[in-house]
Amino acid sequence: MASIVTTSLVKEYPGGVRGVNGLSLTVNDGEFFALLGPSGCGKTTLLRTIAGLEKTTSGRINIGDRDVTDLEPGKRKIAMVFQDYALFPHMSVADNISYPLKIQKMRKTDRLEEAEKVGDGLSLQGLMERRPGQLSGGQQQRVALGRAIASRPEVFLFDEPLSNLDARLRLEARTFLKKLQIDLGITTVFVTHDQAEALALADRIAIMKAGTLQQLGSPREVFQRPANIFVASFVGSTPMNLLPATVQDGRVLVSGTSLPLPASAEGLVAEGQSVTWGARPEYLHMSTTETADAFLGGVTISENLGASVLLSISVGESNVRVVVGEDQEPSMGTSVWVKVEPRRSLLFDSDGDRIGK
Amino acid sequence: MNSMQATADSSARPALMRHFLGLMGKTLFIALVLAFFVIPVLWLVFAPFDAHPSLTIKAPQFTFHNFEVLFQTPGAIASLGNSIILALGTMILVLVLGALASYALSRVKIPGRDILLYTLLLLSSIITGTAAMVPTFLLMVKLGLIDSQLGVILILGSGIMPTVIFILKDFMDSIPKSYEESARIYGAKPLRILWDVGVPLARPGLATIAVWAVVQVWGNFLVPYILLQTPSRTPAAVVIYTFYTEGGQPNLALISAFSLLFSIPVIAMYFFVNTRYGFRFYGGIKS
Repeated sequence: MASIVTTSLVKEYPGGVRGVNGLSLTVNDGEFFALLGPSGCGKTTLLRTIAGLEKTTSGRINIGDRDVTDLEPGKRKIAMVFQDYALFPHMSVADNISYPLKIQKMRKTDRLEEAEKVGDGLSLQGLMERRPGQLSGGQQQRVALGRAIASRPEVFLFDEPLSNLDARLRLEARTFLKKLQIDLGITTVFVTHDQAEALALADRIAIMKAGTLQQLGSPREVFQRPANIFVASFVGSTPMNLLPATVQDGRVLVSGTSLPLPASAEGLVAEGQSVTWGARPEYLHMSTTETADAFLGGVTISENLGASVLLSISVGESNVRVVVGEDQEPSMGTSVWVKVEPRRSLLFDSDGDRIGK
Repeated sequence: MNSMQATADSSARPALMRHFLGLMGKTLFIALVLAFFVIPVLWLVFAPFDAHPSLTIKAPQFTFHNFEVLFQTPGAIASLGNSIILALGTMILVLVLGALASYALSRVKIPGRDILLYTLLLLSSIITGTAAMVPTFLLMVKLGLIDSQLGVILILGSGIMPTVIFILKDFMDSIPKSYEESARIYGAKPLRILWDVGVPLARPGLATIAVWAVVQVWGNFLVPYILLQTPSRTPAAVVIYTFYTEGGQPNLALISAFSLLFSIPVIAMYFFVNTRYGFRFYGGIKS
């Protein structure tokens, strides 16, 4: 049980490429923490640096009250589950799970007993004598988790734990992983490029881009109040509407439509300022009768999302996307009004940062 | 219609003929190649049991007499023991050092690593070759390893070492890094990782190297011939050279019988290693 604190952490590769660029963040004790970002953003590098598999260029890493910056991975009391699980193919499931205990010089009978216990907890009964090659992807993942649990770490590090499972199994494994983390209460950091996975699993999410932190917050915070345009467009299964806009008469002019100023930006913008207006398609409301403070446009594309429909509506030069319930789906070409709630829309300044809290 | 059939027939006949001749030629060629390799083996099987062996293959006048003489020849059977000592000694040396070196070279990035490996490989044959025999001899004299089996093992081992490293490095390269990192996370030290992960996964490679090293040493004549003097220490490959009749003619009876005994351990080892370790690789990496 321990928190993880990184202080101005830098990991520079030979050639001057910075995988992690001056990152300071705190992962609280017992927290399920996601590192989210597109590939090449440095999230895996950060995880590997915390694990000690990559040497820190500068800055410190603390786990609990210990400074582990210069410690070998084996001395950091961490356990890591790799993307490919890295199960030893020549060892049985029981030997794989008990391998950390073998390194700790535990007696063979004791460690096999321990492996049995851990295996039972992960529903691996009856598979203990098999080789990893004889297991399904989901079972392999549970063996990898078992090996991590058996080492009794203070911190779990997961590198893309679900990406090697097929789509259906992934959802099951996701629920399983969340329950396991709650039951064990061990501080867990996991890396993912899948925003839905991060939103579903994590207590808090750190969104990274080019080795730097873009936003740190709860899933709700990063979803509702993205810190900048990058986060706004990266998080969410349907991309956020982001349209160029101008401030005019205490309102905001978007694509020829005058809308009320977003609540968060009130008093923080100047007349005539160029901004980017943003609102999630899920937070927009469509109406077939005339509505004030709304976009008016024709439906051009409709994409079925199951219980809901994603509509693209052409407003002036731009497209506005809105999610509506399946019963509400209008026919193509229909003119509709799309209303925006001031507290559900945001403004971003010319640097791409969100205006207001 | 008729004319068409006629043309079809006349063109089909030579085609069939060509096919038949081609088949004949192929069969003949294969038979010749087969004979080239089988005839010496047949000689090796028949001659030892022939009362009057010659360099031709003939149905033997069956006898065990040749072996009786061989067993009475001083040093003959002991030399097979010496061969085993040299072969196993060299095998263990190159397996241990080769595994360590190839693992290190596979994992540590040093500039010019590949050039170093290729250069070593190129120069390796010189150590055990004729050209370097005088310096090798002098070196062994200085080290006090003349007439010692350890000296022969060291020289033969260093001669095949570059090839061993070269082959094993390929096997080590193919072991995914995440296996080692995973072991490292749980506190395993490099030697431990090599033993727990590297060696088991590179086992087909190590088995290949073991067989190859034994074969190299088993058949080597020059190095033990030059470095060993005491007859009780010389290996079979050198002893076989001393089987002459009083008249200075090769004693085919002894040579053939000894050759058969000489080849059995190597063949047996090949089958043992092949059935036990053959080339298999099943991975636990899902990708």
